Amino acid sequence: MNLRRILALATRIVHQFRRDRRTLFLLFVVPVLVLSLLAWIYRGDGASQVSLAVVNEGQSPLAAQIVTGLQQDDSLTVREMDAAAATAALDRGEVDAVLTLPADLSLRPGGPPQQIDVTLDGSDPSTTSAVMGALTRTLPETVVRAVNPAGLPIQIAPRFLHGGPEFDRLDYLAPVIIGFFVFFFVFLLTSVSFLRERSEGSIERLIVSPLGRGEIVLGYMLGFTLFAALQATVTILFAVYALRIHYVGNLGLVFLFTLLLTLGAVNLGIFLSTFARTELQVVQFIPLVIVPQALLSGILWPIDSLPEPLQWLAHALPLTYAAEALRGVMIRGDGLAALWVNLAVLAGFAVLMVVLGTSTLRRETA
Amino acid sequence: MGPIVEVENVSKRFGPITALVDVTLDVPSGVIYGLLGPSGSGKTTLIRLIAGALRASTGQVRVFGRRQPSRANAARIGYMTQSAALYPDLSLRENLTFFGTLYGLNDRRLRERVETIAAEVELADRLDSPLHTFSGGMRQRASLACALLHEPDLLILDEPTVGLDPVLRRAFWERFRRLAAAGRTLIVSSHVMDEADRCDHLAFLREGRLLATGSPSELRQITDQANLEDAFLALAAGAGSLLEGGVR
Repeated sequence: MNLRRILALATRIVHQFRRDRRTLFLLFVVPVLVLSLLAWIYRGDGASQVSLAVVNEGQSPLAAQIVTGLQQDDSLTVREMDAAAATAALDRGEVDAVLTLPADLSLRPGGPPQQIDVTLDGSDPSTTSAVMGALTRTLPETVVRAVNPAGLPIQIAPRFLHGGPEFDRLDYLAPVIIGFFVFFFVFLLTSVSFLRERSEGSIERLIVSPLGRGEIVLGYMLGFTLFAALQATVTILFAVYALRIHYVGNLGLVFLFTLLLTLGAVNLGIFLSTFARTELQVVQFIPLVIVPQALLSGILWPIDSLPEPLQWLAHALPLTYAAEALRGVMIRGDGLAALWVNLAVLAGFAVLMVVLGTSTLRRETA
Repeated sequence: MGPIVEVENVSKRFGPITALVDVTLDVPSGVIYGLLGPSGSGKTTLIRLIAGALRASTGQVRVFGRRQPSRANAARIGYMTQSAALYPDLSLRENLTFFGTLYGLNDRRLRERVETIAAEVELADRLDSPLHTFSGGMRQRASLACALLHEPDLLILDEPTVGLDPVLRRAFWERFRRLAAAGRTLIVSSHVMDEADRCDHLAFLREGRLLATGSPSELRQITDQANLEDAFLALAAGAGSLLEGGVR
């Protein structure tokens, strides 16, 4: 092992990407753009607005109170209309649901429960659940206020161990986005660089030079770790200072987990580039390597909510452990004591990939 | 002084394809040794075996008395691959600095050599341009510069003059001659017969087999032909009827 040769290779990789504006844009601007987009989606106004048509058949006092109660809910837009107009509006997609308040609606304590009909479009599950959520939230409160102006006699008072009342989907996603982009870009850039090394024939020059195979792998790891660390820094700074995402953790640990993920991704790239002959074929690995990890590693849905066989699969993916660890560090302020399993699994994955990456290089002189 | 390169009964198979069959030859010190043959004759395979980029299936290749591939030999060999095999995004200076560092040149020596070698291949004014702006001939000179940078004792050049204009080609051969005169050993492959006369020793290859070795005049003599192209044809025709390893 010769440090100067390893550094020469790492420097070369830095030089190669330094002038490549498109790659730099992908590396540093795309994660920021994606985070901004998510912030807009989750924190912007209007997304959860449900439009409701109310058909008030009898004008009973209780019905009037329910209409007033619904109108006070910020997430609902309430319009009163007759049955025919409401059905037509629902059909045209102008309202999300039609609420029909029967003529004889009144509180009859001890009597059988009364029914309020809700007609939904039903073709979009997220609208359906938004409508039903808004109604189940607002209706009981409104009905109780009809008898007791103070509202529900028992209230829920949440207290939070981590996060807080302001904690939202973006806070939950941001730590994982950092890990995901590091893994994705490092994998993609390494496999393309290595493929070029083969297709341009320069790998042959490296192999006959005094540079050892271990040194090639180390040089690549060092060069790409630098880019990964820079990318993680940019993404974290943007998320914490510009988007004000919830962050209580230790920055050193965030970098430690990012580093382990990078080492795994570099060597996975070297290894898989052996099975591609063109850059298009490298891109074709993305659905195989990246998409399942994006779906299963707890980025979008909690792993606990997956069917059991998929949970096993999720626990075989490195990004699962990195996502969990990054969330632990940034959201809960976990230390190494809580995350040593994740650390060990990611280190193990990195070592396995180094062995695979180095062994593909050994086959180069077959 | 013994031979710099010894190739002993070397065969090389790639899966079902046999690229070289039982090749034996010695390359003496301080000569230009030409590997001549049409494309597909096994020249590049033989070159890669000597350079240490491949392992022989049977037989062995020794360079400086050590069996190839040998890490100890690497720094004494300069290798120019058939394609330019450099980094098009990097400037010539960055390419040279990268390879120079791999070959263990220290910073001061490296700076000196980069300037000298760039001047020698007439690319001094393009040192800081990225290689993708270079023409084919310039890229080939850059590739040669990378192989010469660390002043290797053995230079292995795979079709170095392919695609060069006659002026550049002559300049390349004059440079090869000066290097040999300075005591370096050169192995040069070519499929152009008019380059054969510029070599001190020749090996004729066809379909993975060695047809003959010798100096240009020896090869003309044994085949009783006036030019080397006819000598090659006579040997190739003879090999068809002779048993394996017929004319040596």
